Amino acid sequence: MSKASGLKTLSLAAMLLTASAGCSDFESSFAPSKRTLALIPEARTGTPDAPGVTPLVDQHFGDPQHLKAWMKLPVEWGGASAAVAEYSADSVKLRFNLDEETPLPETAAKVLFTSGANAGKSFDVAAWDVATGEATLAAAPETAPEAGDTCSIDAGSLLQNGRVLYMRHCSHCHGTAGDGNGPTAQYLVPRPRDYRHGVFKFTSTIDSSRATRDDLLRVLKYGIPGTYMPSFLLMKDEELHALVEYVRFLAMRGEYERKLVNELAADFSTKAVEETRKDEPREAIVSELAEFLKTDMPELAETAGDELAETWTTAEAEESKVMPTVPRVPDTPESRRRGRDLYLSKTLNCANCHGIDGAGNGPQTISYEKNPETDALYGEAGLHDVWGNLNQPRNLQTGIFRGGRRPIDVFCRIYSGIKGSSMPAFKNTPHEDIWHIVNYVLSLQFESETGVSGEAPAEAVAAAPADSQN
Amino acid sequence: MATITPAVETHSHHDHSHEHGHGHHEQSFISKYVFSTDHKVIGIQFLITTILMLMVGGALALAVRWQLAFPWESMPIIGRLFGLFQTEGGQISPEFYTMLFTMHASVMIFLVIIPVLAGAFGNFLIPLQIGADDMAFPVLNMLSYWFMWPAIACFGISFVAGGATAGPGNGWTSYPVLSDIASAAPGSGAAQTWWLFGLTLVGVSSMMGSVNYMTTIINMRAPGMTLFRMPLTIWAMFITAILQAFALPVLTAAGFMLVFDRLHELLPTSIHSGFFIPSGLVVNNAEPTVGGGQPLLWQHLFWFYSHPAVYIMLLPAMGMVSDMLSCMSRKPVFGYKPMVYSMAAIAGLGFIVWGHHMFTSGMNPALGMTFMTSTMMIALPSAIKVFNWIGTIWDGNIQFNAVFLNCAAFVALFIVGGLSGIFMAAVPVDIYFHDTYFIVAHFHYVLFGATLFGVFAGIQFWFPKMFGRMMSDRVQKLHFVLTFIGMNGTFFPMHLLGIAGMPRRYADPYLHGYLEHLLPMNQFMTISAIIMGCAQFLLLGNFFYSIFRGEKCGRNPWNANGLEWSAPSPPGHGNFDVPPVCYRGPYEYSSPEADAVGQDFILQTSPPPAGVARTAVAAH
Amino acid sequence: MKKFWALFFWFWPLVALWVCAIAPQNNWWFPSPPLSSLGHQIDGLFYLILIIVAVTFVGTQFALGYALWQGAVRTPEKKAWFSHGSHKLEIIWTIVPAFILVFISLTQLEVLAKIRVLTSFPKDVQNAPVAEVMARQFEWRIRYPKPGTQLMTEPRPGDLYFVNEVHVPAAKPAMINLRTQDVQHAFFVPRLRVKQDAVPGLIIPVWFEIEKAGEYELLCAELCGWGHYKMKARIIAETPEQVTAYLQRLEQEQNEDGVADEQASQ
Repeated sequence: MSKASGLKTLSLAAMLLTASAGCSDFESSFAPSKRTLALIPEARTGTPDAPGVTPLVDQHFGDPQHLKAWMKLPVEWGGASAAVAEYSADSVKLRFNLDEETPLPETAAKVLFTSGANAGKSFDVAAWDVATGEATLAAAPETAPEAGDTCSIDAGSLLQNGRVLYMRHCSHCHGTAGDGNGPTAQYLVPRPRDYRHGVFKFTSTIDSSRATRDDLLRVLKYGIPGTYMPSFLLMKDEELHALVEYVRFLAMRGEYERKLVNELAADFSTKAVEETRKDEPREAIVSELAEFLKTDMPELAETAGDELAETWTTAEAEESKVMPTVPRVPDTPESRRRGRDLYLSKTLNCANCHGIDGAGNGPQTISYEKNPETDALYGEAGLHDVWGNLNQPRNLQTGIFRGGRRPIDVFCRIYSGIKGSSMPAFKNTPHEDIWHIVNYVLSLQFESETGVSGEAPAEAVAAAPADSQN
Repeated sequence: MATITPAVETHSHHDHSHEHGHGHHEQSFISKYVFSTDHKVIGIQFLITTILMLMVGGALALAVRWQLAFPWESMPIIGRLFGLFQTEGGQISPEFYTMLFTMHASVMIFLVIIPVLAGAFGNFLIPLQIGADDMAFPVLNMLSYWFMWPAIACFGISFVAGGATAGPGNGWTSYPVLSDIASAAPGSGAAQTWWLFGLTLVGVSSMMGSVNYMTTIINMRAPGMTLFRMPLTIWAMFITAILQAFALPVLTAAGFMLVFDRLHELLPTSIHSGFFIPSGLVVNNAEPTVGGGQPLLWQHLFWFYSHPAVYIMLLPAMGMVSDMLSCMSRKPVFGYKPMVYSMAAIAGLGFIVWGHHMFTSGMNPALGMTFMTSTMMIALPSAIKVFNWIGTIWDGNIQFNAVFLNCAAFVALFIVGGLSGIFMAAVPVDIYFHDTYFIVAHFHYVLFGATLFGVFAGIQFWFPKMFGRMMSDRVQKLHFVLTFIGMNGTFFPMHLLGIAGMPRRYADPYLHGYLEHLLPMNQFMTISAIIMGCAQFLLLGNFFYSIFRGEKCGRNPWNANGLEWSAPSPPGHGNFDVPPVCYRGPYEYSSPEADAVGQDFILQTSPPPAGVARTAVAAH
Repeated sequence: MKKFWALFFWFWPLVALWVCAIAPQNNWWFPSPPLSSLGHQIDGLFYLILIIVAVTFVGTQFALGYALWQGAVRTPEKKAWFSHGSHKLEIIWTIVPAFILVFISLTQLEVLAKIRVLTSFPKDVQNAPVAEVMARQFEWRIRYPKPGTQLMTEPRPGDLYFVNEVHVPAAKPAMINLRTQDVQHAFFVPRLRVKQDAVPGLIIPVWFEIEKAGEYELLCAELCGWGHYKMKARIIAETPEQVTAYLQRLEQEQNEDGVADEQASQ
């Protein structure tokens, strides 16, 4: 790339106008969330003796150019761990233990000590020999490393790679901060995912659980049909891996920011200060905030990090995975008919949203919903998701299944619901019944094949308001 | 601009124009220089407008090149100056890139090349070269210029109508249904509608010009100016005007059809047509479309205009270059009549070759074969012209000034553009090259390499007639060398990119493994393009400097033959101080007749020995 | 200085030719030799035109440069050649290029017919598309018929779906049905020299015969919106048995119910 950057400098110099418009590159940044911006400035940036939300987030996550690794989070940061076997001060050479289980990387640019006298310090590698495990450092450490000191070689490289790939392939829709608000986002229906809730729709985990790495990988590889999320099937595995980790990093960053704002929003948002607390003098509010930020916030922030680490770790655990207890019921006309009865039944009441014929036009799509964040009715009729976007129940007749068309995919959608959306989890429904519904739903695309007549049973018609048939 | 008309010249033409019954009174500044009906002022207005638009189009091109050389890196100027892409650190979005190439093409084609040839040179030269005192319809002429500004305004609005980062992004070809369904792309909404309005207005402007040119050329030639005594510039303008007049209505109609398809996005109750939208398409997660339209219809209609338009963008330059080459070689044009016939043939064949833009479109293969043959045949008149140009300079007394060099570059580069066209005419080969950089190389060699070099020459050649002063030849030569080198450095490698299979209109071609290694070549091309872009400031500076400070000149600084050179420089209102009578063809350089008077040129107005003159007048 | 200009106009075509000459070894040429049966014929036609064009290019540029050189070295006293043209020359340079152009045109017809005319497609693929390739913004959705059945225009139960990867048999002709779900796209496989627009509302059959098993890039070549460049896919050519095995795997995967798989993999 050095050649390329040389050329770039050359052409930059040639570009006369650039000089007047300012030569220095300006850099990308993580935009604060709307809720952060709704806080009073002191809560956002902090008081003289305690940091506010933005510095707290930056402290653990950095900015796009200088990402930080908060080691407690379950993110693969990249970098190979190695232990020092020997240090030679004369040749400034480190020799690492050769361990078959954790092989040393092919290339190495930086060594970060994670224990010993140099813990936390990073050194550039001038020469690297993977066969002998010898690294010649560019500059000698002040205190000589000792055998047994642990190091991370190229720490954070995976996340860095992820960021580079993300900025190239993803950021123009999903936004630099993963806020689903890149420049292209406003033109897309549905809007690209805002990761900052930590919620991803299509997962293989139970309803209370976050998405697994494999879930994200699946979406990356196969895309989401019916949306603008394309398939990145041909990306190399290590690239996909880096992207998944970076997306998880952004999701955790956003969630962390959310959690911090949650602690402050009730008392220190601009709205609260101007409306509910308008009788209190502003100085008093600020000093209360300063006190809170100083005494309570550090611990709350720490707890928030721990919670994050826990929820994202649990997601990968075996018990979070959806496991049907019975195999799929054979896809027979009887099964589909049974599925349809369940679909229309009062207990499951799928038709309430998806319509009696599965066209996604149930009565819920024409009623008005309340926005939980503002407590006011939404401007348009229909269901909404946690991101505040209109959430159309799927038209099951089109043959497009966003979360995948495998029976297990549809099973998961019913069993754990679609996270963040109005599709609830039917986790108490017997698995066999879910399979009947799966069979019915998968057959809806081929009307003549279902083996059931198009008419709804009398019971269901009575339950559904007349105008739903429009 | 006050210096444009030296006082001495004005007096003589005052007397003259009264004789001609021109209602002539002192004009205010507005009616003289702004809403002027004088073809010369209108021509100069067109020229200055198009030169400014050239810089806009060039800036857009450089932005395109920047992204191709340094994909997704902070784009200079855009972020800083316009405050776009702040959180992205100046990294542009892909739809912004589609806007860049779309608007680059639209500006260059509709606001630079077409108006500079027909509008600027057509207006300025037609009455002067045929010996008329003005255009047939001066007010129409004025309107044709003033319709450019609403068009420019519409294009300007289209940049921001759909959002600041989503201008029209469907390519200048605007293929439906991408351009037809507003939600199909960020730039397909209001931006696209405004773009179509702009296009229509440019069409109105061109059409008013065409009608005027045809009428003027047919009716207003000076005595003795028979059709085959007209300079090739006039022939070219004449043929172009005919092409324009017959092809343009089709585009305008197609444009309206597209607008009707789209308008309901703006006005809910308006026409809800679906000319180009077939049923059952699911775009941007919307309900499936209804209707029975046919997207290929647009391609047929669009190219029925736009292929002839390619010749509209070339023929006038061909004519002008023929004039200039003949003058600068001090030799008659080689094969005057074959030149005229080949232009006519290009125009005729130009109407039946549009299908070669659609070889991969799934059009009936039988049509493909027909279009292939006609397209091959259109190379023939172009070849004849090239041979004749070389014949024209052959053994000539060449004046190596920038005018000549630009004209020679026109020929040299047109050869490249013409020859690469043969690959495209051959369907099986074209199937591979379709929509790759090979095409981009081809049309830039024709439109930039040929047309713009012709324009550069023409600006310098007729500059003395426009302003009574000369442009600096030294600066023009420097401009020529830099532009020529930059141009070839930018566009020649595009042939190779095309052969390597790099598709055009890709914001990030390097996503595809087999194109990754082409990045350094693209960076080289971008640097060449930047050099070329900077060189245009030489032209700009020279042009405006010379208007006020250039060396003053007489009526005929180039010792040329045309009627325009017998008029004062610059000509006053009404053009000629003596009503011109034409006695001979425009290219009698180094003729024995001229020898007799001890010079190597003889003006078309110089009366010949008695016997010849009578027949000339009688013929008229 | 005059001579400089003449040399200038001689020099740059030489540079252009030199760049073209070194292009293949610098990888500035076709991404690979043609790997389909029609690709060889297409490349043959390309090289035929290239030779004709190169000769014309050299000839005309040399003549142009020579005319300039003549003008540069002449003495100012020498008068220009007063000539209005030559009827004979005009006829020669009309007839000769006309023959060449007609000749080029005729050589193309056969290949064109093979590429485009359905009735001249190889017999065994005419009615047996391997898969439907449905382009959409910004990916390729592939639909194979349920193993053992014919591909229908509309989806049938049991059809197999995948994205951005088409498996076709190598060393024998294969046909796909190309269509688009939204705007216009184009099916471009550079190494096979195949390109066909996917036009909204039409189903267009495309055939090719891949000579060697392997992976072939598939990308979009008709502007389809902001993500035009993202439509990266591949064609995988393998033996017919491997294709069958692949489809079986796909079928199995598509019927995955999260239970059987556990037992199978353990």
